[in-house]
Amino acid sequence: MAETQTTEALSAAAADVLETMFFSPVMGEATPGASCSEPVLMARLKFSGGRSGSFTIRVSARAAATIAANFLGEETDDPEPGQVRDVVCEMANMICGSVLSRLDREAHFDLQHPELVETCGEPSLGSVCSLFEIEGGQVVLCLQLDSAA
Amino acid sequence: MAYRVMIVDDSRSMRAFVRRVMDLSGFEVDSCLNAANGAEALALLNEQAVDIILTDINMPEMNGEDFVRRMAEREELRSIPVVVVSTDGTQNRIRRLLDLGAKGYVVKPFSPEALRAELERVLEVENG
Repeated sequence: MAETQTTEALSAAAADVLETMFFSPVMGEATPGASCSEPVLMARLKFSGGRSGSFTIRVSARAAATIAANFLGEETDDPEPGQVRDVVCEMANMICGSVLSRLDREAHFDLQHPELVETCGEPSLGSVCSLFEIEGGQVVLCLQLDSAA
Repeated sequence: MAYRVMIVDDSRSMRAFVRRVMDLSGFEVDSCLNAANGAEALALLNEQAVDIILTDINMPEMNGEDFVRRMAEREELRSIPVVVVSTDGTQNRIRRLLDLGAKGYVVKPFSPEALRAELERVLEVENG
């Protein structure tokens, strides 16, 4: 699968999911670099089926709080940390599902439950990543596809 | 007309979001039951009636596929339309859920208008 195709699917899925479900439009591409210098939340999920691999999302804590507030509605201006973590996991699930559907509409995929990752890690070797800015900070998405059998 | 709705999803945030989007779309909700998985939903349905059910697929204990299958197997429940709300938009998955007995399918992300349109389409078909 071409890296360009994967990058385009990541960007399109992120823009679609963030705007439609989280009311947080993508403001532009971000420059790679010191994204671990500020507090971040990371979630990762594994998938299997047509292709297997993993998907990781890393979002600045400030942006995550904004996204969670938008997702949960007007009455929640300052969501609790547990709610923010729940929303980040939900976002990982939605973007991953959307990316995989865009890459292969005919395949069948099983997505595991997203898990929060405690450390601000770097993408796995062979990952294809997309970085962009939203209100409140940076979002990094990485898709790692296992080698086809 | 306002409808009695059940939302089945293991994410509390997602249940709240789906309810909020129904309100935003103008879909009239009379009452809304929440369940965290298929088993919890079936237990609630023993006690309370609903007009339509929205369910996720990936859930612990009893997932959406098993839930749809159980609903179709039980005569007293099979007339309640089930709409699947999932991130999985692959054709195989959609076909499989519809074959199992789901009456509608909404792929996340979805707009309020898209959700309302699918709920109304399903209810119109079911109610003639």
